[in-house]
Formats: sequence, structure tokens, C-alpha cells
Amino acid sequence: MKRLLLVIALTAGLGGLFLFGLLRGPPDRDIPSNLLGKPVPAFDLPLHTPYLAEYGPTFAFEPGAIGRPVVINFWAQWCAPCRYEAPVLQQAWQEYGDQALILGIQTQDRGNQAKGLEFIREFGLTFPSVIDDDSRTSIDYGLAGVPETFFIRADGTLAYKHAGPVTPELMDAKLRELLD
Amino acid sequence: MTPIPTAPTPAGRARPAPRWFGPLRWGALLLALLLGGLAWPTPAAAQAEVVTEARVYEIAKLLRCPVCVSESVAASSSPISVQMREQIQEMLVQGRSEREILGYFQERYGDWILLEPPKRGLHLLVWLLPAVAALVGLALLLTLVRRWTRAGREVPAVDEADLQRLREALREQE
Repeated sequence: MKRLLLVIALTAGLGGLFLFGLLRGPPDRDIPSNLLGKPVPAFDLPLHTPYLAEYGPTFAFEPGAIGRPVVINFWAQWCAPCRYEAPVLQQAWQEYGDQALILGIQTQDRGNQAKGLEFIREFGLTFPSVIDDDSRTSIDYGLAGVPETFFIRADGTLAYKHAGPVTPELMDAKLRELLD
Repeated sequence: MTPIPTAPTPAGRARPAPRWFGPLRWGALLLALLLGGLAWPTPAAAQAEVVTEARVYEIAKLLRCPVCVSESVAASSSPISVQMREQIQEMLVQGRSEREILGYFQERYGDWILLEPPKRGLHLLVWLLPAVAALVGLALLLTLVRRWTRAGREVPAVDEADLQRLREALREQE
């Protein structure tokens, strides 16, 4: 009797593990950033042409030097979720642009600046966007795909990283947290 | 032989080529060949390049492609993996060690980027559990084998009445 109970317990345990493996779905891509709470990396990248008049040929970003929260959004012109979130980012820029900076970084898109410019024009994006042609900056930020959005405090430390397209609710909530 | 025409001098006479021009020209040619030879990749330089490339792939095999599922940076052709391999190559050329290169990516992505979990903290479980499981399995197997062999050696107890019946049956057969 005791032996039978042991066999049943073992079978149930292994069966449970098997079911867990089957039902947990695809691997989780939303990996927490290693930069959370730390100052984010600096960079100096060329700007897309619509922003040259306002910001100059390159955008030199130094964490904490801007004096207000910064939202960095990594995007690529081939990425479908980036198309979904582009109007959301533009809307947030119109609402919060005087209190926080939104900065786009076109990445993992080598040699496709012209198509990137088409993307910017298609969605009428007025917040600045730079070109990370060799994807170095995306590696510096530990990017696992596009789009990813980094919410950075005014002191230059990372408060939150979001993988996948942002929603209006998320932008609103995270920007309010940064501004409080 | 037709003489090579030369530009007339202002006085209208042909100027002969200076005697030193010949040796200088040969010297320049030799120097150009020598410099060209130096610029040409030597077998040793080519070998070093091959070694570096092989090392790039060795290190890239230890890193997870950030945008793929269960694929290493060495096996992936995604733009970010290509860029990561380029970065590994640059770092090797700069003389950085494998440990330093892995540390560079680990600092940015966390332990997740390593295909082989580091041998510390909770990750130790991944390394120790298989060994523990193998030892437990071996101990279980040994116990079972000993029990089975002992069972084979033991003489089963026989009732005296049964033995008596057997003896009688044998006697009757004789």
C-alpha cells in the first residue's frame, strides 16, 4: 500500500511538471533590465533630418544633464508594433513635451535611414529621433528587441523598461510617476 | 634607334636626361615594391585573422541571441547578433580577454545573456541537481540490484509435511 502511494505521488509530481511545461506558453521576453535604478548609458547619435534645425547634427545624451525625465523609445521602420505605438508616443509628446523629453532611436535597421525618415513623416512625429545605425546603443541598453521603451528619471537613472508597444494608459501612468 | 624626344630648352637645344635619373628611378621602383610587399597580408597576418574569427565564434557561442528563441549569437543572423559578433571581434583585437568580453555583455543584459549559467548563487542548482540526481539514481540502482541478488541466493523455507509427501512420491516412482 505504501509503495503504491509512493508510485502515485511520483507519477503525479512528474505529470504536474510536464503539464506546467506544456501550459506555460512561449518563453517570457519581458526580461527586467539590468539597468534598473542605475544611470543609463550616454550616447551621441546623428539626428534624422527633420530635427537638425532644432537640435543640430547630433544629439548628445548625458544621463541627468537634461534636468527632466526622459523617455527613450527604440524603434525600427520594419517593426509592426512600432507602427502601432508611434501615434501613442506622438500624443504623449504633445501632452507632456514641456515637462519630459521623448526621444526616438532608430535601431537594428542598418542602412535604412531613408525608410526611417518615411516612417517619421508618415506618423508626423515631432519629437526628436536619432539613428543608431550600428546598433551599439541598443546593445549598451541591453535591448532584446524592438520596440522597447525606457522611462528615465530626471537624475538619469532607469525607473522602468517596457518591452513591446506602449499604450496610452501605460505612457500616462509611467510619465505621471516620473513627474511626481 | 629613334631618340626619345625631349622638351626643347629655352635656347632651342634638346636637354639630355641627367645621369642620376636612371638610378633614382630604379631606387623608387624598388622602394615601391618593398612598401607594397609590406602592405600585402603575410601568411602570419592572415592566420591571425582566421584565429580571431574562430575565437569570435567561440565566444559568440556562449552568448544568447537577444531577439531569438534558444539560439546563440554565433548561430543567429539577426542584425543585433551580427553587431554583437563585430563588437566581440573589435574587443579581441584590442586584446580583451574572453572573461572581459562576456562581462561586458553580462553588465548590459544580466546573467540571462549567458547560455551557460554562472556557477554561483541560485544558478548553482542547475549544475548541482543533475549530479545529485545521478548519485541518488545510482544508489537506488545498487540497492535494488543487491536486493534482487540476495533474493536469488536465499533458500526458500519448505514445510516438513511437503518434503515428506515429495519423498513418498519419489519412492513410489522407483
